[in-house]
Amino acid sequence: MRIFNRIVMILLLAGLVYLGIATIVYIFELGNYQLEDLPDALEFGGLYEGLNGYLGNIESGNVGPLDVVVLSAIALLGLVLLILELKPPTPRRVRMQQGTYITRRAVEREVSPVVEQEPEVLQSNVKVKAQRRPGAKVRVRASIRPGEDARSVQSEAQSRVQQHMAETGIPVSDLRVRANESDPRQTTTRVK
Amino acid sequence: MRLARTVSEAALATEGVYSLGTGRYVEAATYGAGEKVTGVVVGPDEVRIHIVVRYPLPEPIPALAERVRERAASRVGGRATTVVVEDLEVVPDENL
Repeated sequence: MRIFNRIVMILLLAGLVYLGIATIVYIFELGNYQLEDLPDALEFGGLYEGLNGYLGNIESGNVGPLDVVVLSAIALLGLVLLILELKPPTPRRVRMQQGTYITRRAVEREVSPVVEQEPEVLQSNVKVKAQRRPGAKVRVRASIRPGEDARSVQSEAQSRVQQHMAETGIPVSDLRVRANESDPRQTTTRVK
Repeated sequence: MRLARTVSEAALATEGVYSLGTGRYVEAATYGAGEKVTGVVVGPDEVRIHIVVRYPLPEPIPALAERVRERAASRVGGRATTVVVEDLEVVPDENL
């Protein structure tokens, strides 16, 4: 959202700067410019006419099905962006209890060795997201050799992590382990 | 500064706390004239304590963090107390 907002703001501000410079040039009559020529110079005439005609068609109900779809999509996109903008930001740290937190990095460092205890797992990639409610959202990607039983590795690693987290007391509200076949030459551990 | 030092001593005296954390992106510290207390951030309404937990754990991490919070809360004079577990440090068992 921040990147999208920055792009919109950059375009808006660039437009305002251009408009401002053009207005100053016309106000002080620098060169042979007249202020009344500004809309024509900015080529707003065609835009006005097109917009006028389009709004007239909308008002009279003379709109094609494609226009209805596009307008609805724009309204829906606006609603989604508004909701995303109003949503409070995700917290940086994982809440355990009232007033106690644990950093995402500490949770990652707890989960990763536990997953790698599985003999089939060559490498693990752990992503931890803090949530507004207590508990972390943990996504684990375990790299295994081609031909290994991914399902059993997934379920064993998942239960191992769950048990370890229950022992340490770190609250995990959502845990998902995914085993992916990888080339052992590209993983940190080749042989176990 | 005195409050930060008191809180720091209380946290370090808690069993299971290995050290005080330093923060990751921004240094977690309270600054005074010519000195600083790392791991404790004293604000006008809040005191935040960053701890590194000793492994193996004497008790579950939330219970340990809560114990640190309780110990510090009695010394901060009505400020809200927050404990952040920043890392875990594996310490070899002395009995082995």
